[in-house]
Amino acid sequence: MAGMTEWLRDPSPASRTQARLGQSYLAWLRMRRNPLAMVGLFIILVLLFVAAFAPWVATHDPLAQNLSQRLLPPGTAGHWLGTDDFGRDIWSRIAYGSRITLYIVTLVAVTAPVLGLLIGTVAGYFGGLTDQVLMRITDIFLAFPRLILALALVAVLGPGIENAVLAIALTAWPPYARVARAETLTVRTSDYIAAVRLQGAGSGRIIWGHVMPMCLPSVIIRVTLDMAGVILIAAGLGFLGLGVQPPTPEWGLMISSGRKFLFEQWWVATMPGLAIFIVSLGFNLLGDGLRDVLDPRSSGK
Amino acid sequence: MALIEVENLSVHYGIKGQLVRAVEGVSLRVDARESYGLVGESGSGKSTILRAICGLAPMTAGEIRIDGQPVPTPRGRAFSRRVQMVFQDPYASLHPRHTLDRTLSEPLAIHGIGGSDARVVKALEDVGLPANFRFRYPHQLSGGQRQRVAIARALMLEPEILLLDEPTSALDASVQAETLNLLNRLRDERGLTFLMVSHDLAVIDHMCDRVLVMQHGRAVEELTRDQLAGAQMTTDYARTLFDASADRMLGA
Amino acid sequence: MTLLSVKDLRVTFDTEAGRVEAVRGVSFSLGRERLGIVGESGSGKTMTGRSVLRLIRPPGRIEATEMVFDGTDLMAASEREMRALRGQRIAMVMQDPKYSLNPVMKVGAQLTEGLRLRDGMSAKAARGKAIEALEAVQIRGPERVMEAYPHELSGGMGQRVMIAMMLIPNPDLLIADEPTSALDVTVQAEVLSILDGLVRDRGMGLIFISHDLRLVARFCDRVLVMYKGRVVEELEAKNLMQAKHPYTQGLLNCLPRIGGPRAPLPGLDRAAEWAE
Repeated sequence: MAGMTEWLRDPSPASRTQARLGQSYLAWLRMRRNPLAMVGLFIILVLLFVAAFAPWVATHDPLAQNLSQRLLPPGTAGHWLGTDDFGRDIWSRIAYGSRITLYIVTLVAVTAPVLGLLIGTVAGYFGGLTDQVLMRITDIFLAFPRLILALALVAVLGPGIENAVLAIALTAWPPYARVARAETLTVRTSDYIAAVRLQGAGSGRIIWGHVMPMCLPSVIIRVTLDMAGVILIAAGLGFLGLGVQPPTPEWGLMISSGRKFLFEQWWVATMPGLAIFIVSLGFNLLGDGLRDVLDPRSSGK
Repeated sequence: MALIEVENLSVHYGIKGQLVRAVEGVSLRVDARESYGLVGESGSGKSTILRAICGLAPMTAGEIRIDGQPVPTPRGRAFSRRVQMVFQDPYASLHPRHTLDRTLSEPLAIHGIGGSDARVVKALEDVGLPANFRFRYPHQLSGGQRQRVAIARALMLEPEILLLDEPTSALDASVQAETLNLLNRLRDERGLTFLMVSHDLAVIDHMCDRVLVMQHGRAVEELTRDQLAGAQMTTDYARTLFDASADRMLGA
Repeated sequence: MTLLSVKDLRVTFDTEAGRVEAVRGVSFSLGRERLGIVGESGSGKTMTGRSVLRLIRPPGRIEATEMVFDGTDLMAASEREMRALRGQRIAMVMQDPKYSLNPVMKVGAQLTEGLRLRDGMSAKAARGKAIEALEAVQIRGPERVMEAYPHELSGGMGQRVMIAMMLIPNPDLLIADEPTSALDVTVQAEVLSILDGLVRDRGMGLIFISHDLRLVARFCDRVLVMYKGRVVEELEAKNLMQAKHPYTQGLLNCLPRIGGPRAPLPGLDRAAEWAE
């Protein structure tokens, strides 16, 4: 173990991999100093764990109905979070629902930021007409409230989880484009860009290899902070009956169907609501922690 | 025939609606293997001339010729194999997220030159850095070490002409001495032509054969090294610069 | 009369990459005279200057056997007491006015801020004092400068405003950290002569921090040469050329000179024992 740490801290790495891992290790140590970031990380790790081991973590089949056991309060034997109106165990539904949440979040995280990064860096690097056109398109998307736009898209595409993800991704990319463009505008006047241009590099190589790596930290931070919003939009879509369909245990859908019982059997809607809250909080805290670590300004001289 | 010819160069920018005349009608000629200096204070346009030669600043008027041929716009690959530049700020001229290996092998990759492994190691050795620095990041190096990497990078494509934009002004005195020595050695070994910009007359005197004094974008006076050392300048501004040079201030 | 006495000053930073000792046991004393602290980057000279004002944030730590300013123990003083000292009795001028002046406040507002808030002066009286201060640094047309924003001023002008601002409360000690390094050579001479006059007239103590040994020797009475957190030599400015320590000699010799030889410049022997 000590040997590994030494290898990572080696001031003269012998390969690119060792260099990269070493830097990541130091970044990790920096982040460890931030207790809230660690809380956020813990929450996300719990989410990942529950999603991965749902069949073992859950106590019941999430889809199994048992009408004699409906609407039991939390703390009932065998159902620590209670049951819903079909007698289904809420905890198990939340556990399996975490998979869906993770699925949605991951899909959006790999599509929207990538699209935004591409558009933003191209717009920022070339400037002029390209910039104007791309930014006006971005503005158009930004002008619509996200949920409304997602709704409209789902209405056109039809319900279902993939369409919900597509809709969310299509509404989520504009802020990344903005962030990427802002970073690109700063970066493109740097001497290191001038140097590589002087070496005869083409725009593609410069944008992909030199500009994008500088935009990544801002985008990554933005992604974690956005995750909370993505979950809420997915929940919102589920709540409205678009996106995921019953009986899939998606958290938003659970809140929606639990709405009827909010006053008497509050747990049916509140438990999934708490789950959303905790996971959103986790992403937010992690994002804040990442910002302190990844901010290029602090890792300068 | 001179290797670098700048004829009546003017560079004008529009910034927020205002016209900035960075360079106004400057002409100079640099012979092959010569070391030519541009000296002036901030706003004199000296760095802008270098950038205009590289294509990093627009040429509003005038002509720039390398070896008799006007420089093409955009400059192109052939140009980058003849002319390279070392920038002023060692903290800004290396990509912060690239290892030195990547920074040094990139020019080779762009031009399809093979054997980058051996070349990178040799380049590091040529500038006096240990080969095991290869996979370090710039923030793990001192200012002087970064500037050496910048010099190594500029020489990867084996250019004939090296443009140097205040290469040592951001460095400590002792490191400056080492860097200047390095530049002189490389120039001797490779027969390079230097066009060097500085605000420091003593540095220019040490490094250059001829110097052009600039002020407010215009050429004020051209001096040979002997004239500079003998304080034989004819214009007032050149004399003011000479007197104010920190070197003079001690009177030692 | 000793204005400032520092014994065994140590500044340490605990970073995740390890422990960094920026200042390793520096001692000096200062009366109403000019002390120059010279060193290259990493020598600890800036940290020494900042320690006197206790301007170092965690993870940096200041430790000293003694740090006394005119009878006040700076190590034991509370943050509140330090705030009362800073600006009033000990002032600091930094390198680049672009970064040390507030870019979104007009010059006049910045100059009068301290007077109005701290000393409770009326706006009119404060303005009068500010204009006086600008005239003291030989700024012609001070009214116009009062209405300008920092970015509208040239480097030399900005630095003069900075000096004016710092000298308004008539401090006893001025710490100038590379005050002319960001300026053009012809402007440097001007700003230094202004500083010279002011320090002499007001009988202030001055700590002049710089990387430029020759400049400091010309300007100060005594010089401390620092390397890697330690003081390697302390000498009278007029005896600079007779410096004994190899580092100081190296520093003097490694600079190119107009009319000097074309041979490689002598460097520093970094492998020597004093270099540890």
